[in-house]
Amino acid sequence: MSDAILKLDGVAKSFGAHHVLTDVRLSIGANEIVGLLGPNGSGKSTLLNIISGFSRPNKGDILFLGNSIAGMPSFKIAREGLVRTFQLPSMPTRMTVREVLRSGSREGAGLLDAFFGARRDDAAVDELIEQFALGAVAHQPASSLSGGQKKLLSIAVALRTRPRLLCLDEPTAGVHPQLRGRMVELLKTFSKRGVAILVVEHDMHFIRELCGRCIVLDRGEIIADCAPARLTEDQRVVEAYLGKAAERQKVSA
Amino acid sequence: MVQFLVDVLIRAVDLALIAIGLSSVYSLIRFPNVALVQYATTGALLALALQMAGLPLLAAGIVACLMVGALAVLLNLMVFERLLRAGSAIAMIGSLALSMVFSAIFLVTAGPRAQRFELDIAPPLRFLGARVTEHQLIAAAISAVAIAGFALILFRTDLGRCMRATATNSVLARATGIDTRKVTGTVVFLSGVMAALGGIGIAVKGEMSVHLGLDMLLPVFAAAILGGLGNALGAAVGALVIAMAETLVTNVNFGPIFGQSLLFIPAAYATAASFLLLVIVLLARPYGLFVSEVKRV
Amino acid sequence: MSEFLIHVAIMACLYGLLSLSLNLQIGFAGLVNFGQVILFGCGTYGASIAFSHQLGPVAGILLGITFAILVALAFARLGRNLGADYWGIATLAMAEVLRIIVNNEDWLTGGAQGVGGIPLIFGDMPRPAGPLLTLALCLALLACAWWLCNRLTTSRYGLALKLMREEPQLAASLGYSLSALKSQTLMVAAVLAAAAGFVFAHYVTFVGPDQLVASETFLIWAMVVIGGTGNHLGAIVGAILMQFLFAYVPFVKDALGLPSEYVAAMRLMLVGGGLLAFLMWRTQGLIPERVGETRHV
Repeated sequence: MSDAILKLDGVAKSFGAHHVLTDVRLSIGANEIVGLLGPNGSGKSTLLNIISGFSRPNKGDILFLGNSIAGMPSFKIAREGLVRTFQLPSMPTRMTVREVLRSGSREGAGLLDAFFGARRDDAAVDELIEQFALGAVAHQPASSLSGGQKKLLSIAVALRTRPRLLCLDEPTAGVHPQLRGRMVELLKTFSKRGVAILVVEHDMHFIRELCGRCIVLDRGEIIADCAPARLTEDQRVVEAYLGKAAERQKVSA
Repeated sequence: MVQFLVDVLIRAVDLALIAIGLSSVYSLIRFPNVALVQYATTGALLALALQMAGLPLLAAGIVACLMVGALAVLLNLMVFERLLRAGSAIAMIGSLALSMVFSAIFLVTAGPRAQRFELDIAPPLRFLGARVTEHQLIAAAISAVAIAGFALILFRTDLGRCMRATATNSVLARATGIDTRKVTGTVVFLSGVMAALGGIGIAVKGEMSVHLGLDMLLPVFAAAILGGLGNALGAAVGALVIAMAETLVTNVNFGPIFGQSLLFIPAAYATAASFLLLVIVLLARPYGLFVSEVKRV
Repeated sequence: MSEFLIHVAIMACLYGLLSLSLNLQIGFAGLVNFGQVILFGCGTYGASIAFSHQLGPVAGILLGITFAILVALAFARLGRNLGADYWGIATLAMAEVLRIIVNNEDWLTGGAQGVGGIPLIFGDMPRPAGPLLTLALCLALLACAWWLCNRLTTSRYGLALKLMREEPQLAASLGYSLSALKSQTLMVAAVLAAAAGFVFAHYVTFVGPDQLVASETFLIWAMVVIGGTGNHLGAIVGAILMQFLFAYVPFVKDALGLPSEYVAAMRLMLVGGGLLAFLMWRTQGLIPERVGETRHV
């Protein structure tokens, strides 16, 4: 197992008296694809927000590539190489798909570059357009894309930043099953290129095809951390999703 | 000292009426409505016109307030609901534009010269060593009653409960059967009435001009934001603080600090004081001095 | 060309500069700036202070630009945690505070009287050569500003701004510092506004606080919104249109035989009514923004 690039230690978050996350410890290696699962209300989104800097933890440490990032603003964390996507990817109405992809790279996008910078074409953008099959819509306003295409675009632009760790927030929600297959392929390709991936998801098929490892949250605590195939063997996981044995009997009766 | 308190209270009451209207409407319509201060001027001008047409002052005042309330509802329906679809910033800019239209109308109907109500001139009274005119007292009393009345509605009636529910969570309020459009309309109406009353109060004291509303714009906003938008009582406290700041700034003798016998900040800085206070509040505590129900600054 | 027409054209160019500046802020960076006139004032007072202390015009433009950048940074600092509409109110308040200070600090700014006798550009030349050369200079300045703004917004930096204005969360998640982008845009816009102010001071040869009233900001806003936000041609067209309409209002008033307060009222209607109409029925303005014109994408 390669060195951990992301390490969480004792991370906790509460909103007033409501404890959303309690003592979360996990680590993610440089070449891993890890799934983050859990029933609704388990704290997955909050954890993702905390990791990516869109929310602050009340307690605990977060180390990314050896640097402490807990409490850092989101844009700084992104600059460190930790980039995330959003569950509902809203796209601009007055930018084309190509322009959005181009904005994924901040190199040469400074104020002085606007006047003194040399012309730069972006082969990476061309490649991404091809890989994510966005060629037909490349010059259309990004907001005119279908929901599934917007999700693909949001992943593509996140990948354009050349992240070390890509965090995906429910990438398959609302996406056509055919597109999901392509997503798995693409993510595996990028994983081989050295991008670690953390996926918050509900779709078990997607997780099983993509992830080497799964972390399960329930009511703010980690209750499992294993390969996807072994999840159904874990009593706690089954209970978290289906309720305790007695309730299950009631349901199946 | 008593004069200082009297001055502060009178100014605070002027500001409070409009600030409370602004604050309570904000929690329902979700944008700062700049045109509200022009309703004050409209109220004063209408009351004036009605009095000149022969109505006794009291009746003129009441009719003017009701008319302005209705106007507020109409404008909310025809203009602001449409603007809000594009976002709160656009709605605010639109309300600013609308207030310029009001100014234009004021200029041609009432003219740039100051107007006065037909009132008996009486010598000022003395109250615990402070000078107060009868008109100031009456205006302050009416405003105080209006504020109390509003508070009563807000906290003791069904309507008030509905208002507070809609302000906190309009989706939930609608789910429990509250007609949020009607509630919003009522609050808009009341805020218009309060603003008009505020304007009439100022006019009664002889300080009427077409700039009446705009001169109050920033102090009223400062008061409402200070008290926390959406918090009607907070707006009243905010008005007090702003009035104090304005009066203090020009009445306090800073001489002793600098080794001089007399050193006052020039009177022109009174308004600057409340604006600065607004800027500082927005920087330091954008949600107001108290925790407000509406967190959206 | 009549002298009057030359004058109106020169003013149109200067307003064009101010519109380009404001358009950068609202059309691209989402900065609802209601303190624009103060940035202009930094230029006028830079000129006047340099003149009062016999420092020469080069010092004047440098002073003006420095003041403007400082004010821009102050505005940006205000914006850290504020929603767009509240930031607008805060800039309005700050602009008013600065105007009041300028109005009162005679020793620095000449106070309410202002400063007169500032050297006229091309003043040594006989008429009409002088004014014509001034017009040529202003047109050249406008063209440069247009080129500058265009270069900025069609660059990759422009992409960052466009992303930020519609999807700030997405921009942050890609590593863009929103506060840095806003401060930078404010500073560039401030320099443009100060330049306009400096040339204005040396054209009307007089600088005073009455030039810094909030209504000037609202006029520039109308120019940008009516012309079309998010594109530079729109800003310029808006400036020319509104300036010419403004200039000819007195003639219309005479033709219709209306009393003098109608001039101010008609201008208010043009600004307020025009702004409101476009916000309600044609938010894209006369010239809509075009999508997808970035260089080397």
